[in-house]
Amino acid sequence: MRARARINLATIIVLVFLTIVALAVLYPVVYIVSAAFTPGSSIALDLVPFGSGFTLEHFRFLFKNTNYPIWFANTLIIAISTSICTVVLASLSAYVFSRFRFTLKRTMMMALLILQIFPSFIGMVAIYVILLRIGGLNTLWGLVLVYVAGNIPYNTWLVKSYLDTIPRSLDEAAIIDGASHFRVYWQIVMPVARPILTFLAIASFTGPWMDFIFPKLVLRSADKQTLALGLFSFVTDKKNQFTTFAAGALLVAVPFIIFFVISQKLLIESLGASAVKE
Amino acid sequence: METSISVQPTPADAGVRKKVLIASILFMGLGHIVYLRQYLKGVFFAAVEAVFIAFLPKIIKALINLQTLGEPKPHLPVRLRDNSIFMLIDGVVVVAIVAVLIAIYIISVRDALNEFSQSRSRRVGIRESINKAFPVLGLAPSIGLIAFFVIVPLVFSACVAFTNYSSPSHIPPNNTVDWVGLDNFRALFGGSKIWTQALGRVAAWTLIWGALATVTCYFGGMLMAVVLRESKIRIAPIFRTIFILPYAIPSVISMLVWQNLLNATFGTVNRTLRAIGIISTNIPWIGDPTWAKFTAVMINLWAGFPYFMLLITGSMSAISQDIFEAAEIDGASKWQVCRKIVLPIVIYQTAPLIIMSFTHNVNNFGAIFFLTGGNPVVSDTTTTNAAGTDILVTWIYKLTVNLNQYHYASVLAVMIFLVLAPIAIFNLRRTRSFREGEL
Repeated sequence: MRARARINLATIIVLVFLTIVALAVLYPVVYIVSAAFTPGSSIALDLVPFGSGFTLEHFRFLFKNTNYPIWFANTLIIAISTSICTVVLASLSAYVFSRFRFTLKRTMMMALLILQIFPSFIGMVAIYVILLRIGGLNTLWGLVLVYVAGNIPYNTWLVKSYLDTIPRSLDEAAIIDGASHFRVYWQIVMPVARPILTFLAIASFTGPWMDFIFPKLVLRSADKQTLALGLFSFVTDKKNQFTTFAAGALLVAVPFIIFFVISQKLLIESLGASAVKE
Repeated sequence: METSISVQPTPADAGVRKKVLIASILFMGLGHIVYLRQYLKGVFFAAVEAVFIAFLPKIIKALINLQTLGEPKPHLPVRLRDNSIFMLIDGVVVVAIVAVLIAIYIISVRDALNEFSQSRSRRVGIRESINKAFPVLGLAPSIGLIAFFVIVPLVFSACVAFTNYSSPSHIPPNNTVDWVGLDNFRALFGGSKIWTQALGRVAAWTLIWGALATVTCYFGGMLMAVVLRESKIRIAPIFRTIFILPYAIPSVISMLVWQNLLNATFGTVNRTLRAIGIISTNIPWIGDPTWAKFTAVMINLWAGFPYFMLLITGSMSAISQDIFEAAEIDGASKWQVCRKIVLPIVIYQTAPLIIMSFTHNVNNFGAIFFLTGGNPVVSDTTTTNAAGTDILVTWIYKLTVNLNQYHYASVLAVMIFLVLAPIAIFNLRRTRSFREGEL
């Protein structure tokens, strides 16, 4: 009887604790949802969420009076291209690093490791001039090149350490049977490495959505803006349309949230796996 | 394979081998064409060297420009003046290209010798050549991209640290930029009082920020992971889903929202606290240097704990069930299992990621820039642009974009390198694949 009472008390404490944390986590989320549907453009939100009426005017405004659909399309193109190129290039180089022996391999791996600790905008002046020279300024592909190059060092490591755990006998058998290296890479190793590649595809897809510095540097004209630039302009530029910002942000955040909640299991597994592999 | 074993090197072979070696060194690909009859490869190598020789004058000019960075020519129209920055970048690019050429040269000579020792045993077709070149072809696109969009920019910005590239009097194309040796380092490390002070303040806060941000998120995430796992609450998955939200929402959005909520006068947080009577005067969450630092760490905890919660949950579920059964048989309590078995394993497995996370936080531009913008301003902010919560990377950004003080920004980038590179290498040396020599 006594033991049972104690368990109940412990459960209640845990429940209270979890609820408090959940409220803290949800606090800004609730306000952004409420701001998106609040009439007017006041930055001082009502204390009670949804306390001052309900409207869809901000969403209408986004689609009628701003370039929101173009921002969205641009960002989507950039994200998809970055994701595909990152997966292909990182997996190719990871396969080579994992399965071949060659001179300077150790040095190159070490260089990749050191390169990945730098935020790429440290070299932004040089990146600007290089893009200027190859005609990549104000183009989406110029931005994609910058992102992919920045993604490769870390992700090559990530995929390589995963490939190292796949038994070599698998591909050696295929080589003896006369398969080319490319076939082994494409038809044998890549399917086995699907979990880590999925994770990589997701991670490199989500990155460009909210990057701010490089779009600002590379993209100039109104038809080449991305979501981050557009949304940021609502809260700076002395405009202060926080409610419009909230509506636009909500439209981006919702698909992300749905996606992350659905892929929870995959996330936990791949993150856990990346820890074990160290 | 069997045939190759039967081939024994003879004195005559050694003589030919020497000829192949000399020919390959004399002109790239010559050995392949003349002695090995590997025409495809030979022509490729020879073409590379021919192109190199054709561009030699340009290459030499670029290297000379790299050294001088151009002459000031005030009498010429701006368009025709020497642009030091283009010269600097071109110089760095050319050095990179020359390095690649030297690498190809070495590869060609080695390959010629390799081919020679194998040529007796079997003839190699085009298809097999391509197959054998797979490692090179597979790495080439990655290395090319990294070379031009990561290494060249980094080397460029390291070079700028030794020039006077800065506003107002050394901005091309109007003026030229000159090499100034260690002047910028001297100015930042004691030479100029106001800059030295700002650097000391920002560097100290960057390290404290990196440590606090990492520790809070790690233990916050661990706490939530353990509580969700050990509590036998049926709705734990619902809580876990809620806790993932900060990880799922793009951080620019959440940081800008927090900035709005935490505004001292119109922010919802202060007005709510006042309305329910907890405080009587507004708390300057992001308006006072000390408060703003505290706020930045707390908001970063909000945004960062889900990552470690997921990570540790994953790492806990990877622990073999046998261990738990053995502990249960030995009569260990749940608390003992958690403290003596689960936590040590989890900490051991995730330790390298703590260090990774530290380097990530030191460079966590978004968590500072979009929450506080580096503000509030302090005494030296007007000159140095370094405000109360600025970390090195946000300061670099401001120096580059607002002040055009590229030379000082580059010194800071070099400093980040000097601090973080040893940490990254140390981390690598501890990994199993490195110690077992698999690398």
